[in-house]
Amino acid sequence: MKTSLKILNLCLLAVSFYAFSSCDDDKNDGDVTKPIINLEEPAEGDTLKIGAGIHFEMELSDDEMLKSYKVDIHSNFDGHVHSESLKVASGTVDFTYNHSWDVSGKKNTHIHHHEIVIPVDATPGKYHLMVYCTDEAGNESYIARNVVLSTEVEDDHDE
Amino acid sequence: MRNGFLTGMLMFASISSISAQKEDSVMTGTLDEVVVRSSYKRTCSLNTVQHVDVLEKTFFREHFTGNLTQTLGHIPGVHSMDIGAGFSKPMIRGMGFSRISVIENGIKQEGQQWGADHGLEMDAFGVGRVTVRKGPSSLLYGSDAMGGAIEITQIPPPSENQWLGEVDLLGKSVNGTLGASLMVGCKKGGWFSKFRFSEQHFGDYHVPTDTVVYLTQRLPIEGEKLKNTAGLERDASWYVDYRKGRYQANVAVSDAYQKVGFFSGAHGIPDAAQLKDDGNSRDIDLPYSTVNHLKLTAHQQYGWGRTFGYLDLGFQNNHREEWSLFHTHYGTQTPPETNPNKELEFSLNTFSSSLKIRNFSHDNWEHTSGCDFQYQENEIGGYSFLLPEYDRLMCGLLWLSTWKPTSKLSFSGGIRYDHGRLNIAAYQDIYLAAYLSGQGYGGDVLESYRWRSYAVERDFGDFSGSLGCVWNPVASTLFKMNVGRSFRLPGANELASNGMHHGTFRHEQGNASLATEQGWQLDISYTYECNGLYFMLTPFGSWFSNYIYLKPTGEWSILPHTGQIYRYTEAQVTFVGLEMEFSVNFLRHFTYKVDGEYVRSRNLDEHIPLPFSPPASMCNSVAWQKKYFRIYAEWQGVMAQHEESRNEESTPGYNLWNMGATFNIPISKTELELTLSAQNILDNRYYNHLSFYRKMEIPEPGRNFQLLIKVPFKIKKK
Repeated sequence: MKTSLKILNLCLLAVSFYAFSSCDDDKNDGDVTKPIINLEEPAEGDTLKIGAGIHFEMELSDDEMLKSYKVDIHSNFDGHVHSESLKVASGTVDFTYNHSWDVSGKKNTHIHHHEIVIPVDATPGKYHLMVYCTDEAGNESYIARNVVLSTEVEDDHDE
Repeated sequence: MRNGFLTGMLMFASISSISAQKEDSVMTGTLDEVVVRSSYKRTCSLNTVQHVDVLEKTFFREHFTGNLTQTLGHIPGVHSMDIGAGFSKPMIRGMGFSRISVIENGIKQEGQQWGADHGLEMDAFGVGRVTVRKGPSSLLYGSDAMGGAIEITQIPPPSENQWLGEVDLLGKSVNGTLGASLMVGCKKGGWFSKFRFSEQHFGDYHVPTDTVVYLTQRLPIEGEKLKNTAGLERDASWYVDYRKGRYQANVAVSDAYQKVGFFSGAHGIPDAAQLKDDGNSRDIDLPYSTVNHLKLTAHQQYGWGRTFGYLDLGFQNNHREEWSLFHTHYGTQTPPETNPNKELEFSLNTFSSSLKIRNFSHDNWEHTSGCDFQYQENEIGGYSFLLPEYDRLMCGLLWLSTWKPTSKLSFSGGIRYDHGRLNIAAYQDIYLAAYLSGQGYGGDVLESYRWRSYAVERDFGDFSGSLGCVWNPVASTLFKMNVGRSFRLPGANELASNGMHHGTFRHEQGNASLATEQGWQLDISYTYECNGLYFMLTPFGSWFSNYIYLKPTGEWSILPHTGQIYRYTEAQVTFVGLEMEFSVNFLRHFTYKVDGEYVRSRNLDEHIPLPFSPPASMCNSVAWQKKYFRIYAEWQGVMAQHEESRNEESTPGYNLWNMGATFNIPISKTELELTLSAQNILDNRYYNHLSFYRKMEIPEPGRNFQLLIKVPFKIKKK
């Protein structure tokens, strides 16, 4: 009985060591590192001119390979309460924007464009601007900016 | 042997009640209770091929938090996934949600498995005895117990005719909890009945930080209190037990109600303005959630010769509502006329029944056969959408046998077949459709987004099985080994959902063609207990051919406020890990205890870990006990979790220091039981990798002082 107990203990030790050591065999070779978004323009709290293109400028980078980025703009008129009652009935429309761009095949890229045009009938007020970026593996990062849409803004950006 | 399932538990409960009858369970001092407890524990352990943890009074007293799941989180291998201080769901060996079953009075508890922000609804004051079964248990409890099961059973009635009861009072400093519970019971002849009412109120909880960073924005935490995390809990239950000769029956009715506020930042993008201190840390403002769980269970058993029959019936209603100031991303949606701020409503009715026959006719053999049946259907409401309406029918047939060739060795095995039918209703979001067509979308794109849920009707059938042995060569040593196969039916959200989840802000998409999740697990358990020395080691490993998880697809969703689409996908997955525990008594009154746990998951298709992997941890404690006085100090070390899945943050490690003392003060004919404890004494700021608030960088509660007073009383009858 004593011997069998010893054997048993040894077996247990072996199994537990195996359990631990086998963990070290399969290393994390899947990519879990998110891409990095460095959004330069628009900055937090910026006022954007209605009827003009948004000066959009950022750096994207990833340790493996970038895939795509997306810009989402939606209203935030009352602390993110998008209720019907708050809509301005002056013939303007809540501005919503949702568009993505392909940046696959690159590890770093500098983005600079004025493609996002705020239509002249956009309702002025507080908005959220969000930028999402994915890499080839599906790692995603995002950044949120509070911006204000207004008809009265001086275009002080030098191109 | 696999007869540790409910009916077995009840058998042993009645056996241990016989041994307990010599003393009075309420009046007995600590020493006598240890005797009773270890015998129950031992009987239970000897009769189960898997490692089981049996928790009773002493454990609950020292680790009481007012929240059962958080208390269970002190067992190695068990974790609590928290949403602030109110809702918590259990996780065993890295598996949670619908992979864990909670069984009370023989009936599977519904309600905690739906999503990240749903907890376990149960009165922590009223819990008598808990058995935690780590590893596959779908053989015993069907589909959803593939990762483990938590069984909650009643303490057997006292033997003598009497009135009995207890008053519990709880106070916590971290969120100003005030709680009380009253229990009154009566035993007369074959009848035993008890009633319990509990109530807890708590305020916003203290976090050791003044800012959190969410969505790249810094948000102030005024007064180091997490705004709107206050809540209340109100529970009532009534239990009647009748025993005559070989007949036993009990009926239990319980209702658990919770109303808990959500940190405003947890819903939507928070504004600094919303987080301003409103001067009242105890009010529950929007957004908040209410949960009501009504449960009726009835158990009957009878013995003929060497055969026993058991019948369990149950009905449950889960009613959950989430209230949040009306908001929409789609301009055409107007607030509903009634209850304009009711965001979500979910009401689920579940009928369960279970019939089991056990036979001991042959000396070395024991056989059990049984069938289980469960039917559930739900209704939904509110201005938003989370889960579709569905109905689900489950039937299971099982056979278990145990063979004891010698008194020191036993083999148990069993097989079970379950059949399930799931019928999910489609749900169309007309406001979303109008919004998208306004944005210029049409055709296939519009068609694929307007359905928040697809109609799915599926039939599933699968086997579970297990084979194991218990070897007890000498009294001090116990060795167990078990191989089990388990499965799980995909849930309604995994099959049919499509759209933004209001809690996670992800576009989550189901897959109607998912198969049943299947896994194999090997469990080994070794325990040594002799002369105040205790050692336990439980290594395990499991392999799943098609584990269902939310995979980031890399496809952008066109829904506002979302990134890429996450789709429920099958993957090959392995888990390996172990738990260990060691304790030793020294210098007569001291006990040193250390326990630790480790689990590692691997998605073999992607070569990455699974989301929500618990970090390795260790807990050291030293206790000094003399007569009615016990004092302990505890050091809990949790390692950093760098095993993060895609789009999950790694979490730094942390150390927590806890202390406590328990003492009993004899007063007239009873004993006042006082428990004073302090958690996170250094007020460390730390994050729980498994918490719903983790992704918002909200730290866990800070330093807490807690006082628990229990006054048991008893009046003997003639």
